[in-house]
Amino acid sequence: MSRYAQFKVFSILFGVVYTLCFYLQGAYPLSPWWAPFRYYPAIAEWHVERQPPETAGPAILWYAWLAEAFVFSALVSVVVPRRLADRISAGSVWIIPAALIVVILVYERRWFL
Amino acid sequence: MIQVLVIVHALLAVGLLGALTHQAFSVARASASAKHNIVDRFRGVSSPAFTNTIIILFIVTSICGGLLYPRYRIDVRTTLEDLQLRAANGIFEIKEHFAAVGLGLLPVYWLAWRPGAAAEYVATRKYLTWILAFLAWWNFLVGEVLNNIKGLFP
Repeated sequence: MSRYAQFKVFSILFGVVYTLCFYLQGAYPLSPWWAPFRYYPAIAEWHVERQPPETAGPAILWYAWLAEAFVFSALVSVVVPRRLADRISAGSVWIIPAALIVVILVYERRWFL
Repeated sequence: MIQVLVIVHALLAVGLLGALTHQAFSVARASASAKHNIVDRFRGVSSPAFTNTIIILFIVTSICGGLLYPRYRIDVRTTLEDLQLRAANGIFEIKEHFAAVGLGLLPVYWLAWRPGAAAEYVATRKYLTWILAFLAWWNFLVGEVLNNIKGLFP
């Protein structure tokens, strides 16, 4: 099992980093850190810089959050020593994502108030 | 073209739901040896056989959704905003987050379902399967509601 222990690191981190990215993007919308690039579907262009909505239309940040979560989680899971990854309990790999789902539902309740 | 992609997305999601629901039921309880009724037969599948199919379907369905997203953002979301249907926007926001969480879970889901996985993974694979099934059902139902929202909320 230890041969693939890094998968546990990746799966736990991916959801956490993704959730942090979209939460922090909402908290600090002008910061470039949480969505390093944006896709503007109205003009079919990718941009690193924010574009004015009057000319570029709405932006999609989801791709950037996914990419950021993937890159960060993949890097950490490759770098982390295997013996540390082995120590992650089997329970935590579903408990942490389950908790994230609850956090997401609580955060997004703003749409229903 | 976009209509074809919507239909393909829905068909892939149906396949994913079927596979995940079979697996979720099968890990809920030890399979009965005598399969008399439809529930026992539904549960009595070879769960590990579904794993790779579920992973591939989850990824391909998500890619399909990602390709549809720009059109949704321009046409559907702006309409929902104009109609002040905040809840409809909210359930879609949750859908995109759930798709991301599900994608991230796939490596450890594969790990837990590997043949010869340690005994400590028995509970883990059950809960991971249930989580993925919940995410897939949410995303499917939200997709269907939003796709048919003009008919559902005229």
